[in-house]
Amino acid sequence: MEIDKKIIKKLIDTLENLKKSLKGEDIFDNNDPVEEEIEISKTVVKSPIVGTVYTAPEPGAKPFVSIGNKIKKGQTIMIVEAMKTMNHVPSSMDGVVKKILVEDGQPVEYDQVLIILG
Amino acid sequence: MFKKILIANRGEIAVRVIRACKEWGIQTVAVHSTVDKDSMHVRLADESVCIGSHQPANSYLNISAIMSAIQLTNAEAVHPGYGFLSENANFAKILEENKIKFIGPSSKLIKMMGDKIEAKKIAKKYNLPVIEGSENGVSDLKQAKEISKKIGFPILIKAAGGGGGKGMKIVHNEKDFDLSFSSAKTEALKYFGNDEVYIEKFFQNPRHIEVQILSGKNRTVHLHERDCSVQRRHQKLIEETPSPLLTNEIRKDLFEKTVNMVTKIGYEGAGTVEFIYEDGKFFFLEMNTRIQVEHPITEVVTGIDIIKEQIFIANSGDTALSQEDIKPRGHAIECRINAEDPSKNFQPSPGTIGICHLPSGFRTRVDGAIYQGCNITPYYDSMVCKLICHGRNRSEAIQRMIRSLDEFVIEGITTTIELHKKLLTHKKFLDSNFNVSWLDNEKII
Repeated sequence: MEIDKKIIKKLIDTLENLKKSLKGEDIFDNNDPVEEEIEISKTVVKSPIVGTVYTAPEPGAKPFVSIGNKIKKGQTIMIVEAMKTMNHVPSSMDGVVKKILVEDGQPVEYDQVLIILG
Repeated sequence: MFKKILIANRGEIAVRVIRACKEWGIQTVAVHSTVDKDSMHVRLADESVCIGSHQPANSYLNISAIMSAIQLTNAEAVHPGYGFLSENANFAKILEENKIKFIGPSSKLIKMMGDKIEAKKIAKKYNLPVIEGSENGVSDLKQAKEISKKIGFPILIKAAGGGGGKGMKIVHNEKDFDLSFSSAKTEALKYFGNDEVYIEKFFQNPRHIEVQILSGKNRTVHLHERDCSVQRRHQKLIEETPSPLLTNEIRKDLFEKTVNMVTKIGYEGAGTVEFIYEDGKFFFLEMNTRIQVEHPITEVVTGIDIIKEQIFIANSGDTALSQEDIKPRGHAIECRINAEDPSKNFQPSPGTIGICHLPSGFRTRVDGAIYQGCNITPYYDSMVCKLICHGRNRSEAIQRMIRSLDEFVIEGITTTIELHKKLLTHKKFLDSNFNVSWLDNEKII
């Protein structure tokens, strides 16, 4: 349901931007949503390998990161287990955790977005 | 004989057990996780039951789900394979209470040999040489240090409930001792729920030698030794039998002492007693109370189907074999084919297998569960199949293995095949001049 809301909100935003660009003469308005997309793709941490994701160092423990946490580049944000090997996933940059897109124990694919940073 | 057996495992070992059952006309039940629904063991079994999701804890380690599958299918016995629940005393006990035969020893014996301190005491009691160290668990730092100084550094701190290299710390000198001792205890508690540790002398250049046994109420026989010294990070990669290093005199002593201990503890089923071997001396390491990955090399030199013997003993309580029946011929080698990239520090390489051509020919055996189009998921062990070659002697076995590896084609994933080719032509392997840490210290690929 959350995803649906996101899509709807994005649609509304796009429509509003479209309206604005139609009213005004400034053609650069059209680029706004595109710029946002590029920014998102720069501030995400993706899974380096296919496997099972763990959000905490061990069952029942405090998660590596929570929404609103300030994190540093290189800090472990999750573990992805592949063929009994535990792979620590480091953050690719400094930032604040905006969204966590996976649940503990869930299967993840290579390059799947794990968290969004702000 | 049993009419129906449930195999509580997956991959090549599940296929191996199903094949043995089929030859004896025993009905088979496969259990599987959601991601394994198209696996070969599911396809080959007479019946299959999905028991949970991809995570082992929800499926292959899920005792209540497996118990339900047994009930649903009316299986009379369970073969646990290796790994997963094969050495879980609690699982064996639940089966015993429900009058379902666990194909393996009693829960009491699994528990006894699973406690490494206890197992070492038993070995010592029955005259097997044990590694010098603390007789019991040590909790006091001062006492631990005293013992270590007496043995002489380097020493090894091990978890009583441990295995698989976890909770193990090598300490090279006294000044590092305090830190290693406390972290070994923390790790032992974390991984095994028990912070008991013990101390042993650390061997720098050992070989890994093990003795295969089959034991019933009537008698215990041994099926000679296996040398499993080509390892990476404590994981076996190549195994062979006979060991190129043992003399007949040492061999005789090793077998006599092993059979004696196994007889005295009243063991029933197949088992392996593992040893460290250095400078002409062997020392008891542990006993595995299950079938092992490398059992086929023993099968091809002895002509004995160990899985069928396991089932026979589980059904009758006795072994049909006597020691005179066991006359190994020639030399056998096994190479483990893993879905991993040796050039990238053995990084896992899951994926979908494209072209898949398995080697065959005279005295070449492949035990696996792979086929063209099958998916190697990242959720389980990286071993996808095993290649076993038998020769009149060691050099013929090596030649045949290289020939077979050359025939092997697996596309879509990276495997250890290329590494094996390099190892089998390596001077150190040809001269058998290496130890268990060879691959950790030398980059071959």
